[in-house]
Amino acid sequence: MTLANNEKIGKKVIQRAMRWGASSAEAFFTKNKELSIDVSDQQVETMKLAEQQGLGIRVLRNQKLGFAYTSDLTDSALEQAVQQAVANSDHTEKDQYHSLPGPASSYAQLSLYDPNISRTPVEKKIELAKEIERIARNFDPRVRITERCSYVDSVYEVSVVNSLGVQGSYEGAYCGAYSLLVAEENGDSQTGFEFQYKLNFNEIDPHFVGTEGAKKAVRMLGAKNIRTQEMMVVFDPYVATNFLGLLTPSIAADSVQKGKSRLVGKVGEKIISTLITLVDDGTKPEGLMSSPFDGEGVPSQRTVLFDHGVLQGYLYNSYSAEKDGRKSTGNGMRSSYMGTPEIGITNCYIENGTISQDEIIAEINKGVYITEVMGMHTANPISGDFSLGASGILIESGELVGPVRGIAIAGNVFDLFSNIDRVGSNLTFFVGKGSPTLRVSRMTVSGSQ
Amino acid sequence: MLLDGDNVLAKNELEKILDTALNEGGDFADVFIEKRVTTSIGCEDNRIERINSGIDIGAGVRVVMGDTTSYAYTNDNSYHGLMQVANVASRAAKSKRDLIETAITKKMPEFDFDIELSPDSLPVSDKVEQVKRANSAARRVNEQVKQVSVGYGDVIQDVIIANSDGTFVEDRRIRTRFVVNAVASQNGIFQTGFESLGGAQGFEIFRKNSVEDLGENAAKRALMLLDADPAPAGKMAVVMAGEAGGTMVHEACGHGLEADLVQKKLSVYAGKKGKQVADSMITVIDDATIKGKYGTFRFDDEGQAGKRKVLIDSGILKEYMYDSFTGKKEKKESTGNGRRESFRDKPIPRMTNTYIASGKDDPEKIIQETKQGLLVKKMGGGQVNTTNGDFVFDVAEGYIIKDGVVLKPVRGATITGNGPTTLNMVDRVGSDLGFAIGTCGKDGQGVPVSDAQPTIRIKELIVGGTAQGAEQTIKKIKRL
Repeated sequence: MTLANNEKIGKKVIQRAMRWGASSAEAFFTKNKELSIDVSDQQVETMKLAEQQGLGIRVLRNQKLGFAYTSDLTDSALEQAVQQAVANSDHTEKDQYHSLPGPASSYAQLSLYDPNISRTPVEKKIELAKEIERIARNFDPRVRITERCSYVDSVYEVSVVNSLGVQGSYEGAYCGAYSLLVAEENGDSQTGFEFQYKLNFNEIDPHFVGTEGAKKAVRMLGAKNIRTQEMMVVFDPYVATNFLGLLTPSIAADSVQKGKSRLVGKVGEKIISTLITLVDDGTKPEGLMSSPFDGEGVPSQRTVLFDHGVLQGYLYNSYSAEKDGRKSTGNGMRSSYMGTPEIGITNCYIENGTISQDEIIAEINKGVYITEVMGMHTANPISGDFSLGASGILIESGELVGPVRGIAIAGNVFDLFSNIDRVGSNLTFFVGKGSPTLRVSRMTVSGSQ
Repeated sequence: MLLDGDNVLAKNELEKILDTALNEGGDFADVFIEKRVTTSIGCEDNRIERINSGIDIGAGVRVVMGDTTSYAYTNDNSYHGLMQVANVASRAAKSKRDLIETAITKKMPEFDFDIELSPDSLPVSDKVEQVKRANSAARRVNEQVKQVSVGYGDVIQDVIIANSDGTFVEDRRIRTRFVVNAVASQNGIFQTGFESLGGAQGFEIFRKNSVEDLGENAAKRALMLLDADPAPAGKMAVVMAGEAGGTMVHEACGHGLEADLVQKKLSVYAGKKGKQVADSMITVIDDATIKGKYGTFRFDDEGQAGKRKVLIDSGILKEYMYDSFTGKKEKKESTGNGRRESFRDKPIPRMTNTYIASGKDDPEKIIQETKQGLLVKKMGGGQVNTTNGDFVFDVAEGYIIKDGVVLKPVRGATITGNGPTTLNMVDRVGSDLGFAIGTCGKDGQGVPVSDAQPTIRIKELIVGGTAQGAEQTIKKIKRL
């Protein structure tokens, strides 16, 4: 059993840390095997196969935190990392809230490992990527360039062990498919993409990925600009999850504790539209970000963040929970063995409304359906201010009439979520974030005409 | 130097690894072995919150046959581990080939730069000291500064690169980075200010630059934005100050000049070599050899020497940026732009230090001669759709210009434009030049870059702000 072996390495590291003077210690170990296949013009352009592993060591000494990591797992390298972690704790600030979690009574039983992902031969995965491309190129003759059609998967193991008795391991796997395409007509080139991530191999739908990517590229052909005006704005689920990503940093307890969130002291208050219920659920069946426990061994759970617009609470890891005198919500996330557990979302989504996207659009006299935004990474996660480039499709008298591009939208994410007046019934997940179609009653859309 | 103890790979072992990679056929193979030692320090809430140290080791083997690339990597840097990876990478090739024995020859750098104070020659406490000083300086500015976060990071990256064309390079890259983020708040409004410093330099970077200044400037920008008006929305003239950085050149043309995107016709600049793509005042250069800059290197990640390339010369497109794969497709040499984030990634064409060359106009005069528009004093991040050339960048510090006078600061502005259209609408190029650092993301790989522009004026760009009465603004601008 390799999981047992991972835990053994973790225990050895902890013992050494305690010997070097740590009052408590934790080892976080991951190992994964990755495959990615990019296809273009029915040829494999890049095939990547990888195996990697690494270990992060977190120590507490005199209420001071130290951390080090290594991907070299030889005995001498592990020893060096342990010593480095202990040495680093010399220079960090003493903090009474530093703590490692104790053992949990139980962890959720989740089905995270589909053996078909590793069992399926590479040839079949290559064929899947090629099939996506064929479907996309056959969808419309104007789809002329494949940036790439891809298949990716990952099989991984995670172990957390600490000196307070936490000892947990799990293995999981996921797979995904992409299409990135360009449609051309009359010297105009426009891109379209679609992707899908699933826990089960058989759920990847090449027809969906190919067709949707092609459709999105073709429908942007001939896109025009518009004059600056105020109008109704509809966000497709992908764009809506982009905005969700700007809202969630404010719900992290550490942001709140450091005064970097507008939600300080606002639990129980109506903050955003009553149509919005926002949930983070690390135990969601079929959730890409589901796991029995978080990056410090705390059981994953379902946490309601906004219930019909009313703030219910924040997301916690062990440290921020200790500071607020409450329990961690199991959101101590680790992006890899190279970092400490920081507060992050698991499967975070806006619950479905009752109206379809078509019905939402049908009600609009003049508006724009936004399908792509650019520059979200430049938005301000503290203030929630954003100003983005955007493209999409103009709506007139309830109909999608023609593509627009090069427009700009700006505002504040809290205002945006307050002004949501329609929530669709088409909740769609993009890895860990999910949203249905959302409509904002009014926004300034800047254009050049 | 690279691999500790008895794990040092001999030249003949590297040759054997390359032969194994090509055992099943293929036109080209390379191996990239890396050891990366990092230290990062984070300070927030007036406390040194974390000090992280790490050792990341690994190696990647690439096999190219025709248009197909096979890539495999591992954390096992031993000869045995690398032979295994070479085997995995080789399997994607289809035809056995006649045994050819690869012979590699060590290359020496064409230029060099000295690191005066290697990060591993100093105690952590010296690094912590710099962080604390920046934190105090930012907090001292004003009580409205509610939060300050300071980050320090250094990396010592040792690499061995060898390929079947005979290249063999050993290199050590050292980089240091320092960032300050200040948050100011008043009446429920939050604004942030950001300053960064970084280079292919060791700790000596702090001798030439004051962390107190960085902290103070970040705090002052956050405070200034508290009093700023919402940015106007619509079409207007935009002056980008030399000190604003080079996000625009990076997005408006840099990415579109990367050969992989060009060859796949994913760039508006495809097929435009020798043609006019920008105003004749515009010359764009990518230069990996500028001493100490964040995107500087002796060798790229394929073992090619770093070079200076004129990409656009007085408005005429002269050259794209190539790695070896895209270079071979056109039967030409790599331009030394083959870069990768780590051993986990295959190299692709990337920018290094990219800038618009200085012109003749007096920067002050450019502003004085602007009737109405937006002055960008600091750019934030940006993004581009290279296929149609549409780009966007964030304005971290902006002001309204009216009748040649700089008026109130504005906040929340983003500028959107189209690469070739914008570069053709430049009507002033200043005699100054100012660099900024960044991490550039492409295909999921982040690499350190820097970019720069002189003060330039663009006749009109779309500013996406929130201010009302936008239509009026547009009409005014149209009269210019």
